Amino acid sequence: MDKPHYVHAIQINTDKCIGCSHCMRVCSTQAIRIVGGHARIMPERCVDCGECYSVCPVAAVYVKSDSLETHLKQYVYKIALVPSVFFGQFPAKYSVSQISATIRQLGFNEVFEVEQAVDFVKEEYKLKSDEPDSPKPVISSFCPSVVRLIQVMFPSLTENVFQLKAPHDIAAIYLRDINSTTNIPPEDIGIFYISPCASKIVAAKAPEGEDKSPTDVVVNMKEFYNKVYKRIIELKRIDELKRSSTMTSDSVKWSLSGTEREYFKGRSLAIDGVENVIKFLEKLESGHITDIDFLELRVCDQGCAGGILCPGNRFLTVERIGERQKRLQERLIENKVVNNPLMKYKEQLHRVSKTEAIYPREGLLLDADVEIALRKMQKIKTLKSYLPGFDCGACGAPTCKNLAEDIVKGEASMSHCVFVQRVMEKNYKLSPEQAFQMIEKIWGKNRLNKYSENHGEKEPEKTD
Amino acid sequence: MQMQFDIQGGDFSAAGEASSEVKKALKQLNIQPQTLRRIAVALYEAEVNVVAHAYRGTMTVDISPARILVQLQDEGPGIDDIGKAMEEGFSTASDKVREMGFGAGMGLPNIKKNSDEMHLTSTPGTGTTLEIIVNF
Repeated sequence: MDKPHYVHAIQINTDKCIGCSHCMRVCSTQAIRIVGGHARIMPERCVDCGECYSVCPVAAVYVKSDSLETHLKQYVYKIALVPSVFFGQFPAKYSVSQISATIRQLGFNEVFEVEQAVDFVKEEYKLKSDEPDSPKPVISSFCPSVVRLIQVMFPSLTENVFQLKAPHDIAAIYLRDINSTTNIPPEDIGIFYISPCASKIVAAKAPEGEDKSPTDVVVNMKEFYNKVYKRIIELKRIDELKRSSTMTSDSVKWSLSGTEREYFKGRSLAIDGVENVIKFLEKLESGHITDIDFLELRVCDQGCAGGILCPGNRFLTVERIGERQKRLQERLIENKVVNNPLMKYKEQLHRVSKTEAIYPREGLLLDADVEIALRKMQKIKTLKSYLPGFDCGACGAPTCKNLAEDIVKGEASMSHCVFVQRVMEKNYKLSPEQAFQMIEKIWGKNRLNKYSENHGEKEPEKTD
Repeated sequence: MQMQFDIQGGDFSAAGEASSEVKKALKQLNIQPQTLRRIAVALYEAEVNVVAHAYRGTMTVDISPARILVQLQDEGPGIDDIGKAMEEGFSTASDKVREMGFGAGMGLPNIKKNSDEMHLTSTPGTGTTLEIIVNF
């Protein structure tokens, strides 16, 4: 079976990885195994949610993104495409226009907020809610990890995913459009998207249902924050840019949980946190839940404020964004009307805003041939009955069921299980030496020496 | 490949667990997402029927490369008039069951709609047997 190539931002640095298996235990799609003392990710199962990144004690799990410095030199006219959560990372004393002015000082010609595209998205939602025959519930495609989770774990729900491009894509298309009238050649214009998470990096590199993203460079928000923050505290006085009201107040909350659903007619729910999302989709796919028109799902708790590349505390971010919404609301009362320049292009944008259909991935598939798959399933069932069911993880797989699956796939053996090993030793089927080698094969050479050394708690060297 | 599950009558909080397990297994096979969905809906409705009306029952599943065959056998009051039970909107569910969001009288018609073959036999006072076949 030819495996399709899947792009992932989440990577493991095997030089740093100590094979502690923390990542394997938190992975919601059981995509991680420990082999040869290191974590290994199964590309067909990974959804780039970043749960592994958050628990890694030695920063061996990293997020692949583009270098800001290198790419700043590459383009003549540089646009920073910044999501609202970025502004929510800063203490309240720094205003959005101060932060934007500081971003310009890093070498950008223009700063554009992603959520500026949300007014357009709201109109698309209205159109979609009026479509009579779309499969219900319509599932938001905003969180790319949710889309991938559906592709991997809930294949029958792929047709429910709303085929609408992400706000950062809509914004980038608009920016390309308005800059096409200037005399700068299009290849000299660089759109830099600042991503709050691994999954949006993948979405900007290899968007689902699109050939290519209209963004050019994707920057890790943590790195970007460090640069902007360093600059902002250095500056004595920041010249604020006077801006008219271009942002609708609730658009700034779009990436958090609960705003999107208000724009879809009918019954809708907002669910955040990967485990909550999985539990709900499980029930939905099983037919337990009906009569819902729209689902707003976020893999991160508190939506993008909980993005793994957001440096700040998610609850503080939510509070700051809420305060900003209030300020924008007050400004609206003074200025009467929000003048969003992007909305002048809504007809053009509408024509290019749809993605292609989303298809299932083969992450759970045992074999493309049903007959072979059934035989494997039967074998897994039998093997499982020999395994203790403790899900201890000592075999390098997160659960006994996963070990049984790996054995059937030819990627592990029964003697990976430490409990089975004891039985085999008792029956003289395995020597203690062989058992030891097996453990080393999974957890790495010298892994059974002193544990303290692996945890950076080396004993002080003797000085005498 | 065979599977078997016990279903407890009246345990609405657990209703759907057996059909969820079957659906999880089917996802490992290369079958059409739409087919998977039809099976999930038919099995869930069938399981809820046992929970809502019977005292206890079993779900026996047989998966072959071409189709899934599911038999739900229950001990319960049985069905007096199968023809009537198949009508949309007809239900003998108690008010209590309806308050929980079940018993809208769409169960059996929905199962029929989502399966390729459906056989319903019942002995009033003893129990009901429902057989569902969905081809892959």
